[in-house]
Amino acid sequence: MFNFLEEIKENLKDSAGLDSFNLINLSGKLLYVEGHLGLVTLSKEIISFKVKKAIVIVEGENLTLAELSNNTIKICGKIKKVEEI
Amino acid sequence: MKWKAQTTFQIHGLNQEKTLNELAKIVTLEKVCRESKTDTIFECPYLKHKKVEKLLKSKGFQIVSMRHEGILWKLQKIATSYGLVLGVAVFFILQLVASQFVVQYEITGVDKQSQVEITSFVKKNFPNKKSAIDTKQIEISLMENFDSISFASCMIKGQTLLVNIKEKLLPNEIYGQFKPIVARSDAKISQINLVSGTLTVKVGDFVRMGDVLVEPFVVDSSGSIKKVEAKAEIMGEVYNLGESQHFSSRVEVSRTGKTIVQNSVLLFGLEIYTFKEENNFKLFETESEDINLIKNLPLPFKLKKTTFFELQEKTIESNFEDVKDEFIEKARQKALQNVENCDKIIEEFYTLRHQSNATFVDYCIVTKEPIGVFEGV
Repeated sequence: MFNFLEEIKENLKDSAGLDSFNLINLSGKLLYVEGHLGLVTLSKEIISFKVKKAIVIVEGENLTLAELSNNTIKICGKIKKVEEI
Repeated sequence: MKWKAQTTFQIHGLNQEKTLNELAKIVTLEKVCRESKTDTIFECPYLKHKKVEKLLKSKGFQIVSMRHEGILWKLQKIATSYGLVLGVAVFFILQLVASQFVVQYEITGVDKQSQVEITSFVKKNFPNKKSAIDTKQIEISLMENFDSISFASCMIKGQTLLVNIKEKLLPNEIYGQFKPIVARSDAKISQINLVSGTLTVKVGDFVRMGDVLVEPFVVDSSGSIKKVEAKAEIMGEVYNLGESQHFSSRVEVSRTGKTIVQNSVLLFGLEIYTFKEENNFKLFETESEDINLIKNLPLPFKLKKTTFFELQEKTIESNFEDVKDEFIEKARQKALQNVENCDKIIEEFYTLRHQSNATFVDYCIVTKEPIGVFEGV
């Protein structure tokens, strides 16, 4: 099955360290996350979750989790900032 | 209405992120919305809502509301909530279908004809659907196909086809068995109670065993003979005899107690060894027995042991008058052995016959008993 993210990684000459997590921001209204390791914060303004060796913080307005599974997250709402710390 | 069955939870509690992470390991959560610091709403698949509910309770969360929606949930609700109603409806539908058919056959009034035969005839030749059954046709068909049926009536009651049958009654001329009544023993006829047939004896006649008493026919006024079953009750005086003999002198033989034993060893019936004492008894009787000598060998060695018993004769003189009563009683007992099924003993007597050395006691017991026997029964 075709996987867009995998194709991109294969095209890169140096793809080391690219297998921890994936984030896709669609028009600032939907953020799709693969490879999260657990939710840390959940509110309408901030959603944060753990990834490998880091925490990702998403800030915005009216944020909701459209989907939360074992390793994927879909965040809906007005996404203003995505930050990895 | 959604096709996909979902359950929406509204929970109340602290530290919800940790619990949501644990829930996400067993089920995919959707539309997770944090309403406040302590309240969250989320959806999960309906089929896994019990697992989610159990986990939330184990973590101490208060489930504020739990709402189900979707086609699957509706179907399950109908199946559980309306199962009884549905079952009753199905029952009535099945009952309605079943009531259109005859499932049981009840045949009454048959005596000579077999119920099974009539039932199988009706089943084979007529449909079991009520609307297709013509009871008149069944009645006609039964009367046409069974000679012994004179009348038949059919009706359907519930799911049972009732068939009432009247069988033909045979006329007297061809009814019963035409065998004569014969005397069971030698007797003097004392009473006759004739039911049907023609008598060949009258009261006071002496008959021998096997004599015909009632013939199985009657002669009508036109002189023609009609066969009927011979029926009658005929009583007779039956003479039951017993005899005893007394001899004025008789010889009694008895053993003296002396014996001689002779042994032989046999193989296949051939005598291979013998030991015999000399037999010098004038009057004797013998007893012999064969004994297997060896049990385990295939050769059948046998010991034949013959014992000779010496006998002596003794002449006993006896006067009849001394033992008269004893011999009369013996004769009576023998006569009583012949008395069977007697109604009552009418008379008893005995006669004595004397010959050169013997006296015979003839005892007679006269009984009244039925002697007419219908052999056909």
